[in-house]
Amino acid sequence: MADAKVIPLEAIPDARSEVVNVGGRPYLLLNDAMFTFYRRSMGEFSPFFLALRDEKRILGARCTRCGLVRVPPFVTRCPDCGFAPTELVEVGDVGQLVATPPVTYFANSLFQQQVPFGRGRAILRGADTALSVNLYTTRGILVPGIFRKGTEVKVVFRSERKGEITDIFCVPTAELTPDQVAKKGLEESELDWERATEPPLPSATAQDAARFHEIAAQLSALARELSANERARRDIANWWRTILVKTTGGTLVMKIANGDLTVEEGTAAAPDLVMVVADPAVLLNALAYRGSLTQAIMTGKLWISKNVEFTTVFKLERMARSLARSKKA
Amino acid sequence: MRRVGIVGAAVTPFKARWYEKTYYELAQMATAAALEDAGLGVDDVDGVVYGIYNDIFQRAAIPEHPLQAVIGLENKFGVRVSNGGATGAYAMSVAHAYLAAERFKTLLVLGVEKATDCFDFQSMSATPEVIKTIGWSGDSFFEQKLGWTASDSYAEVVLAYMDEHPGDLKPEITAQVAAQLSQQARDNEFAQRRFDQVTPEEVLNSRIVVYPFKELEICVYSEGAAAVIMAEEQTAKAIARNTGKPVIWVTGVGEANEPSFAGKNHKIMHRILSHHLAAKRAYEMAGIKNPLKEIDVIELHDAFVHQLEISMAEMGFVPLGRADSVIEEGLMMPGGPILVNPSGGLLYSGHAVGASNIMSAWSARRELIRRGLRRALVHGTGSTVAQYGVVLILEQR
Repeated sequence: MADAKVIPLEAIPDARSEVVNVGGRPYLLLNDAMFTFYRRSMGEFSPFFLALRDEKRILGARCTRCGLVRVPPFVTRCPDCGFAPTELVEVGDVGQLVATPPVTYFANSLFQQQVPFGRGRAILRGADTALSVNLYTTRGILVPGIFRKGTEVKVVFRSERKGEITDIFCVPTAELTPDQVAKKGLEESELDWERATEPPLPSATAQDAARFHEIAAQLSALARELSANERARRDIANWWRTILVKTTGGTLVMKIANGDLTVEEGTAAAPDLVMVVADPAVLLNALAYRGSLTQAIMTGKLWISKNVEFTTVFKLERMARSLARSKKA
Repeated sequence: MRRVGIVGAAVTPFKARWYEKTYYELAQMATAAALEDAGLGVDDVDGVVYGIYNDIFQRAAIPEHPLQAVIGLENKFGVRVSNGGATGAYAMSVAHAYLAAERFKTLLVLGVEKATDCFDFQSMSATPEVIKTIGWSGDSFFEQKLGWTASDSYAEVVLAYMDEHPGDLKPEITAQVAAQLSQQARDNEFAQRRFDQVTPEEVLNSRIVVYPFKELEICVYSEGAAAVIMAEEQTAKAIARNTGKPVIWVTGVGEANEPSFAGKNHKIMHRILSHHLAAKRAYEMAGIKNPLKEIDVIELHDAFVHQLEISMAEMGFVPLGRADSVIEEGLMMPGGPILVNPSGGLLYSGHAVGASNIMSAWSARRELIRRGLRRALVHGTGSTVAQYGVVLILEQR
């Protein structure tokens, strides 16, 4: 944490320019950035963030006239009561979600490492307004249905805190022991996180193997078609990945190499990503634009070894759509 | 208060990527075409209202300042409006107020956006950086660092609505709305996805971007510009006599901005009250009692198909909880009583943010004139949790 940079170094491009040709004319592209650094004052919010950081407590602003408790304490005066002063009060660390929260699978570039993640609004005990919080499950990949309107959640504190809203997140109390739910200032290190373990595949029958060979051949042919499509090639420009795909009937290697996509039967020693999918038709359908890899992951039909590789998953899905689009135009 | 009308309009093509142009030239293209449509020279225009949403897209704070000379309005009035997704609609609302108050006779409303110069060098693609740029619009103390995006923010509202009305916004219906918009885009020669017709099955199979939104149910970011020329009553009539094109009068304007924090006395998550209130105010001004009967064309800001459906309900075209009747009862189907996004909406025409609602006004005017219809509604939505709502009523008399 001490060495962390406010801009991740890997996000910063090299300073250079290149030329793109459109309609026979050259156009100049410059790698560039707008950047401004801040030593930003948290001003009147400082007590709230300091309480998170130093005391693992959550504060709200209670109107001295109407008694409404706003969390986070985003005002010092109540605009509903002629701007009567508010006072800081501590609220509970258990609450309920006001609505079913969204789950993000395709994130902005700062959050691609974190997908899938949830963000919802919890009304903590003693509060009248909702606090926006990240929502995590301790039980594998986050899918819709774990969090709903009214789901009871517990605030969990990061072990290393900076005085930011990301010092906390919520998990369902249903995933915690009664002691954990009751404990003030519960920390992430006290949770029992389920490790990402590769799901086992059933042993293959002769039928599975035959079906695997058949679908593998179709996947290879489709990969050639995708690689021959200009729009689809652009989707994996400057991208290199070796993906080992394990299915019930056998294993495949899918290679992405700067515009070229190949799929072949076999194995890879040090893949960038492992996919486990019992039925290889799930992969074929997705690449043929008859289904979706993301939805297959959400429904548990497809497992991937690294969530950060959702970026690669999206690129494959985009290729499928590009080919489908090109066939229409 | 003077009556105000639209006397000229133009759009540039909306494109996913426009290497050949900067936003200076896009602004010139739209301005020149709108002036030509109105039969005016630039000297006939008293000033400009710019609709530019995002400084970071343009890579400049006050990105409008160079445009004053680029579009030939040096030494004249120029004000920029920046209201998130509702920027274009708010820009027209501002122009209306200045003209109605007789400060000016003729104003240009110019929306321009160059969204996809943003680029993420980690995924080697534009979109994650474009949505990061929009992500700077979230609350900077309590929400940005949680991964706030426009999609997850609108999804919050949609999911809260679905909690209240579990039988509405059925996936097969949202898919059908998206598919229909794709068909309608075929008629818009400027649309970004003019020849990308999709079936409801394809929409259903498209990937989840932010649950519950699928890729083909979300508008696409664009580079492009749109402009309208608005004038006060006497000037508008004189211009119309000259061009032979009818004045499209702005007979109603309404706006509302909701709170962005949720809970007691704050945002009701399952409602989009901003759209409800903006429509109510615009209807009152225009004397509309029954919108379904009295409005022929709706240009609805369809950032997300689910939100389009909820907005239709909030604006009084279908009951809350039965938004699916836009399809199930054929309201927006071919031959139905209302045309909704006849040019494909932002989903298929594209979303060049500051220009989008102005493009919608261009489309509404085009439909009123060529189909000989009476009334259109132009809608804009924006900011976190659909906080902003703007509605304009356009009429041909």
